Amino acid sequence: MKQGTLSKALKGGAIWGFIVLELVFFSIAGEYLSLSDKAFMDWENMLLLFKQSAPIGIIAMGMTIVMVNGNIDLSVGATFAIAAIILLDSMTWPIFAGLGDWVIPLAWLLALLVGTALGALNGFIVWKTGVDAFIVTLGSMLGYRGIVFMFNGENPTSHLNWTLVDFAEAEFLGFATATWFLLGVTLIMWFVMARTVHGRNAYAIGDNREAAVNAGIRVGPHMMINFAIIGFLAALSAVVFYSESGSVNPNDGQLYELWVITAVVLGGTKITGGAGNVIGTFGGVIAIQLLRKGLGHIGADTSTVNLVIGLILIAVLFLDKQLNVKGKEELRV
Amino acid sequence: MKIRTILAVTTAAATLAGAAYAESHGGTMKIGITQNNVGVDSYQTTYEKAFIEAAEANDMVETVVLDAGGDVARQIAQMEDLIQQEVDAIIIWPTNGEAVIPAVRKAHQAGIPVIVTNSNIAEQGFDFVKSFSGPDNITQGARSAEIMCDKFKDMGIEDEAQVVHITGQPGYTTAIERAKGFEDRLPEVCPNVTVVDTQPGDWNREKSQQVMEAFLVKYDDIDGVYAGDDNMGVGALNAAKAAGREGIIFVGATNFAVGYEAMAAGDYWGSIYQSPVDDAKAALQTAIDVLGGEDVPFLNYFDTPKITQDNMDEFTKPVF
Repeated sequence: MKQGTLSKALKGGAIWGFIVLELVFFSIAGEYLSLSDKAFMDWENMLLLFKQSAPIGIIAMGMTIVMVNGNIDLSVGATFAIAAIILLDSMTWPIFAGLGDWVIPLAWLLALLVGTALGALNGFIVWKTGVDAFIVTLGSMLGYRGIVFMFNGENPTSHLNWTLVDFAEAEFLGFATATWFLLGVTLIMWFVMARTVHGRNAYAIGDNREAAVNAGIRVGPHMMINFAIIGFLAALSAVVFYSESGSVNPNDGQLYELWVITAVVLGGTKITGGAGNVIGTFGGVIAIQLLRKGLGHIGADTSTVNLVIGLILIAVLFLDKQLNVKGKEELRV
Repeated sequence: MKIRTILAVTTAAATLAGAAYAESHGGTMKIGITQNNVGVDSYQTTYEKAFIEAAEANDMVETVVLDAGGDVARQIAQMEDLIQQEVDAIIIWPTNGEAVIPAVRKAHQAGIPVIVTNSNIAEQGFDFVKSFSGPDNITQGARSAEIMCDKFKDMGIEDEAQVVHITGQPGYTTAIERAKGFEDRLPEVCPNVTVVDTQPGDWNREKSQQVMEAFLVKYDDIDGVYAGDDNMGVGALNAAKAAGREGIIFVGATNFAVGYEAMAAGDYWGSIYQSPVDDAKAALQTAIDVLGGEDVPFLNYFDTPKITQDNMDEFTKPVF
């Protein structure tokens, strides 16, 4: 019994241990290798860390519930780009011309609606056809990206609105706007997954779909809601990020799905479903951004980030497997 | 020779100014660079290598070399990191000429001079930028016109020659500026040469080949072709070869390896040589000059010389 809690704590704590390791390593290495006179763990730098984690982090919270559900969503990067285009382009539509800066909340709402609809469409197809979510969202990843390119060819879509930029760059209690959104989304998703019937059902379905059906859970609509949630969050991530930058390239958001999934898996969510939580995912997101920042800080080649993260991902999964096996042996005794 | 001397003098002055700066700041200059997407093509890869070499050769400079991997979000994060690390100057090769403007403004507000390299940011951001270091596309167009005119004079057809013009993708600043440079300069040097037709080739070899095929059907007498870059120029050349039309003078811009090879084979007359090494060195030097308190022009161009079959042995074959 005691052993079980220990291995559980080890598994849950692995990502946090890794974050501490990164902090220590970059602080020490930074003393020798960095050009900056400032310490790596400078308060300002840590605040930036949260802010820079937001684009991937916000989506990762949605990916957690989808993956706990036993599904996956590969189309989030393309949804992100579509929402960004809707956000920036709608501000220039002639029907909104008389609104002045009031067009901003309207543009946000439109982008979020479109994102939610695209996510719900994925969920609807998974529900009604019974095709694996991996295949369905692989298709929509390509399809949605096609829409992005149809919209404006290879050219970026741009609209720079300084009111919007000032809002996005604002800081409240020291945290940037993007940080607040990341923290808010994390908190809400934690509540949904840990404290609501919908959240508990997500675990039940991911653990054993048949049993969940037998228990009377309406699996199809449940999964569709989760896909709508991740579509909404992909759009929210775009809204938060592009409010501050005002121009979207047609290939923006590419590979985001992989970074998001990496963060979720690093955070301890099982790829087969049934286990995981958003707090762990939060750790996974921070770990990735910390690595990107740290390697830049000590002047290492930015491309080494991918190599290091790949190695760590495998190490984490290996550790997870070892601890699980041990748990079972304990049981047998 | 004259240009050499001027260059030597300015370099010496810059070194002095830099030394003065280093003394007053008690150490070296810290310069950060965030690049667009190293590894996506050999121009950018060669650029990074040349930048690092140039920085290592200079004792007064320390650099932080970052690559955004084509991702706007990562480039903005890198800008924030460089500001936070309190570097003395930031060089940026924009992933998107508009999306980075707010990040550039942040650096400007933090008192860090920003130098844009290779391709400029949109006009709304000009107030926050110290200088742009890159190629001058108007001059490139003008030089292409001169190359073509000189060749016509050699051939003795400068009073009757007819030229067709294939431009880059409509809407691209580079395409617009090169076309303008060519069309303004040609009547000045060869007033009797006529440009009979202009069509876009979209930077694409196949598209350009089709455009040229249409030209060849439409016009019996074509003496020269100007293409906005060598990629399109070689496309046009292929069309002429297939149609069996000889004696046409092809002039391009941004000398590509394919253009260089066609020149060596004697099929293609000339182009404009744009070296990623010069591009990188110019960016670093601009940053050093800005920090040295020198008066740097807002548009700080590096030289992109003419290359023709006559002088091509002075240039190494382009890597892209």
